[in-house]
Amino acid sequence: MNPSIDPLILGEAADWMVQLQSGSATDEDRRAIAQWQGRSAQHAQAWQRAQAVLGDFNSVPASIAGDTLKRIGRKKSLGRRQALGLLLLAGPATWLAWQQKPWQAWTADQHTAIGEQRNLTLPDGTRLLINTASSLNIAFTDQVRRIDLLQGEVMITTAKDPAPTHRAFIVQTRHGTARALGTHFSVRVGEHSSRVAVLEGAVEMLPARASRGLILKAGEQSAFGSDSVAAVAPLDSSALTWENGMLLAQHMRLADLLDELGRYRRGVLRCHASVAGLSVSGAFPLRETDASLRLLQDTLPVKVSSLTGYWVTLEPR
Amino acid sequence: MSSSLNLPIQDLYCEHHGWLYRWLDRKLGNANDAADLAHDTFMRLLTRPGSGGFGSEPRALLTHIAKGLMIDSWRRQEVERAYLETIAHLPEQQVPSPETRWLILEALYRIEAMLRDLPEKTRQAFLMAQIDGLTYQQIADELKVSLVSVKRYMRDAFLACLSVA
Repeated sequence: MNPSIDPLILGEAADWMVQLQSGSATDEDRRAIAQWQGRSAQHAQAWQRAQAVLGDFNSVPASIAGDTLKRIGRKKSLGRRQALGLLLLAGPATWLAWQQKPWQAWTADQHTAIGEQRNLTLPDGTRLLINTASSLNIAFTDQVRRIDLLQGEVMITTAKDPAPTHRAFIVQTRHGTARALGTHFSVRVGEHSSRVAVLEGAVEMLPARASRGLILKAGEQSAFGSDSVAAVAPLDSSALTWENGMLLAQHMRLADLLDELGRYRRGVLRCHASVAGLSVSGAFPLRETDASLRLLQDTLPVKVSSLTGYWVTLEPR
Repeated sequence: MSSSLNLPIQDLYCEHHGWLYRWLDRKLGNANDAADLAHDTFMRLLTRPGSGGFGSEPRALLTHIAKGLMIDSWRRQEVERAYLETIAHLPEQQVPSPETRWLILEALYRIEAMLRDLPEKTRQAFLMAQIDGLTYQQIADELKVSLVSVKRYMRDAFLACLSVA
């Protein structure tokens, strides 16, 4: 998943980490590290990775980390270590502070046409994939990273905030806000509710007129209206494969599948009531919805009838 | 199937989903888990970087991915089990809130993956530094090794972490 970094560079990063942590690092070392990071994108990435490793260790209370790791499939006891007690060093503050250019506010309007999907990388490194027929505004300030989702759907992979102070990352819809506590999630705004699906990390849903929100974890999905939150359900990953231009259906009702496909083509796409409940599994291309319809015709007892290309109905065969 | 549909993932799904599902069902003895895992396998295939073709041995590729997912899910369960055992022994005020629990579990899972293949002594020294916050000299004294050895353990461990992370 991660971009590969030259092992030699990783080795140098490891050397610097040891030097910094050994307690004998000098100001000169720190300057040298800053310079080292600037040598190439891979150097900078290696250093970010090192900070992420430390971040993982710092995010688990010592009383929990040690014991848990010992209980995982390892029988050897660390023994006398415990007698030594816990002696905490200064944590992340001892590491090099981020060195970034002054932050600049950035706003933009984005629209996608029907059937279009667009990738976008924001100045903080966050990646957006904007789905078909969507529009959103990007409003980044010194205080907050905010996406106003007016219509459609967006998949977000947040990056670690490079700004000196941590800014919240939120997606605002007409129903309220979804605040990212983690990394990879999607928001889709509908008429009556906004749907949130979390692939990694967590997202807090805050309906506009509710006093408290609900946190969704990785592998969960839910929806919220202006004053209510729906029950949490396991993530239906099928609905998120649009990221790859495919819809991977698992026991999906034909009518629901057509609703999905319909978002990617102009006109009306519907089915006869007697076949609406047919269960469909399979992989359907979203960029060629005609091919998807032919596939349905080939595998289900239905036929595609089309008055014009604009008005398509699936009927029992 | 219509010959005009020459999209590899579709063909792969049609030809191999049923077989993969039955294979997983036999392995896991649970039809629901098998269906989920079969689905996840195709998801992984679809989302893997640079997914051009699927090679000449699609079955081998699919079982390879499915096995990886099975091991992944067992390891996650193992981390979660160990975590639950640990907090069962903690005073209530030290038990993390449900909101922070997922953060801690995710971090623990990544830490476990980073340290999985390290030799015992290297792992031990590294945890003493990163979790208990001991100085390198304290670790050297505790493990009865030289400071140079401690630095070598740390370098090995950092490199392993950076290679996995």
